[in-house]
Amino acid sequence: MKLLAITSCPNGIAHTYMAAEKLAKAAEAMGHEIKVETQGSIGVENELTAEEIRAADGIIIAADKQVDKSRFNGKKVLATGVGEGIRKPEELIKKFENDEVPVYGKEDSTEVKEEKRGKENPIYRSLMNGVSYMIPFVVVGGLLIALALAIGGEPTPTGLQIPEGSVWQTILNVGAASFTLMVPILAGFIAYSIADRPGLAPGMVGGYIAATGSFYGSDAGAGFIGGIIAGFLAGYIAKAIKRIPVPKMVQPIMPILVIPLVATFLVAVIFIFVIGQPIAGLMEGLTSFLQGMEGASRIVLALILGAMIAFDMGGPFNKVAFLFGAAMIAEGNAYIMGAIAVAICTPPLGLGLATLLNKKKYADEEREAGKAALAMGLVGITEGAIPLAARDPLRVIPSIMIGAMVGSVIAMMSNVADNVPHGGPIVAVFQAVDNVLMFFIAIIVGVLVTAFLVNALKKPIKE
Amino acid sequence: MKLTDLLTEDLIKMDVEGSTKDEVMNELASLIEANGALTEKQPYIDALHAREQQSSTGIGFGIAIPHGKSDAVKEPRVAFGIKRDGVDWASMDDEPANLIFMIAVPEKSAGDEHLKILQMLSRKLIDDEFRQSLLNATTKEDIIKLASEI
Repeated sequence: MKLLAITSCPNGIAHTYMAAEKLAKAAEAMGHEIKVETQGSIGVENELTAEEIRAADGIIIAADKQVDKSRFNGKKVLATGVGEGIRKPEELIKKFENDEVPVYGKEDSTEVKEEKRGKENPIYRSLMNGVSYMIPFVVVGGLLIALALAIGGEPTPTGLQIPEGSVWQTILNVGAASFTLMVPILAGFIAYSIADRPGLAPGMVGGYIAATGSFYGSDAGAGFIGGIIAGFLAGYIAKAIKRIPVPKMVQPIMPILVIPLVATFLVAVIFIFVIGQPIAGLMEGLTSFLQGMEGASRIVLALILGAMIAFDMGGPFNKVAFLFGAAMIAEGNAYIMGAIAVAICTPPLGLGLATLLNKKKYADEEREAGKAALAMGLVGITEGAIPLAARDPLRVIPSIMIGAMVGSVIAMMSNVADNVPHGGPIVAVFQAVDNVLMFFIAIIVGVLVTAFLVNALKKPIKE
Repeated sequence: MKLTDLLTEDLIKMDVEGSTKDEVMNELASLIEANGALTEKQPYIDALHAREQQSSTGIGFGIAIPHGKSDAVKEPRVAFGIKRDGVDWASMDDEPANLIFMIAVPEKSAGDEHLKILQMLSRKLIDDEFRQSLLNATTKEDIIKLASEI
């Protein structure tokens, strides 16, 4: 066989060359040809040429540093640590003899560390990919907004307002910028993980459309759930276009021009006309539904509002419930907003607490997101729960809905009122709440219900 | 440049006293400091630790190559120590390290000649015979002689 190898280590002083030497000796002893490119601190030496790559039967990458694999598309690539190259060169070469090495870049070109994940459900894997890229945006945006509201905010009848022109206004806007990118990033990287680079643009643009209701005449966007839908839509459309055979002439422009353009167009059309307009209709329907409930049992109303606030964390259901509560304050009924203010903060606080109570059920990044969620919950930013909900929606969303419903009902039954359209403990700090004690009891109970329920439902994560 | 420009007799310890990885690194770093190649010892030690944290430099076969790149290193040097009963280096094969080559490299160095030397050394250490001769050596002169072969 004709083998190629690349070795590289963090400092590029010793291990790079030891692995190169070992691989060369082992290959020779086993009767194979090999050429080893070393990427050390001297730079790249013995560089592999395109011609050699074309002729090679396989490529071994023994590196503890990131090595660009794009030039090996369609070749059998075995990626491992530099230590394996030093310790077990024969085993690595045997894998090629036994034809156990998969071809790189055919199915999908995810990175080395994701090889282990190969057995996972691909839908789950794509969702995870999107969520992990989204988390920093939620954390940065949420914490900046929280900081601005907590220090610079003033309660007014139209919500917590930050004085125009103050530095906190600027900080709020920076945080809002990060929040604006959240859903496009989620959708973009879901699509990226399905269709690789050509999926990124359709995914991000689709996510932006999903998050921006004005595209389809709606007061609110479709939230993160809409973003997930847009991401998968974009990914699978881009992947489908990739499969269409095209003449060689056109091939080079497929990934940068044809696939992104066509996929973006299709995603936009589908989202605006097939998914978006029903969302606008849904919001109208929900609003008139809630208005019709005005005379109904207050407890039923609290249950419905709690569920709506938690269900999509900033999406259309949440928005309708919130706007309804705000409208009721204007009519002199602040009890509705009292119940909503509790439901607004129990999802992030409850999930944050859950990550602290049972570390085994959350990945590292989820635990970090959990801490940020606690801070966001305190100032009434329900979106703080999204990173945890998006990873495991079927278990998390029911838990936060039930926690929020319980909290809302307690608040409603004990006549908690909130005169400012905003939620979370911060509104009590601003003295906008009547019956503060029960307000906090409602929050605490809702948070505990959420945390215990979600931890009971979630399975420990697999390594 | 030759390996023996970097590795001189005063940088060799035929019987390392330290019994832990940290002690051994400290001991060999003192040799490099005494040789005058360091402006300060601690930053170099820190660089060694930072490298070990990424992954152990114990590559197995009883060899460890701790190495640090630091501003505190004036000139490239190699220190060498033998630990007959071995020292735990969290090596990939879980075997203790007997032969310790410790490398000091300046952060910004003129030219990369010394890197080529270290590359040669690294490649040579893969050779079973070479390792055995190092272990068989009894005097510093033996070591220098072996080093001059590279």
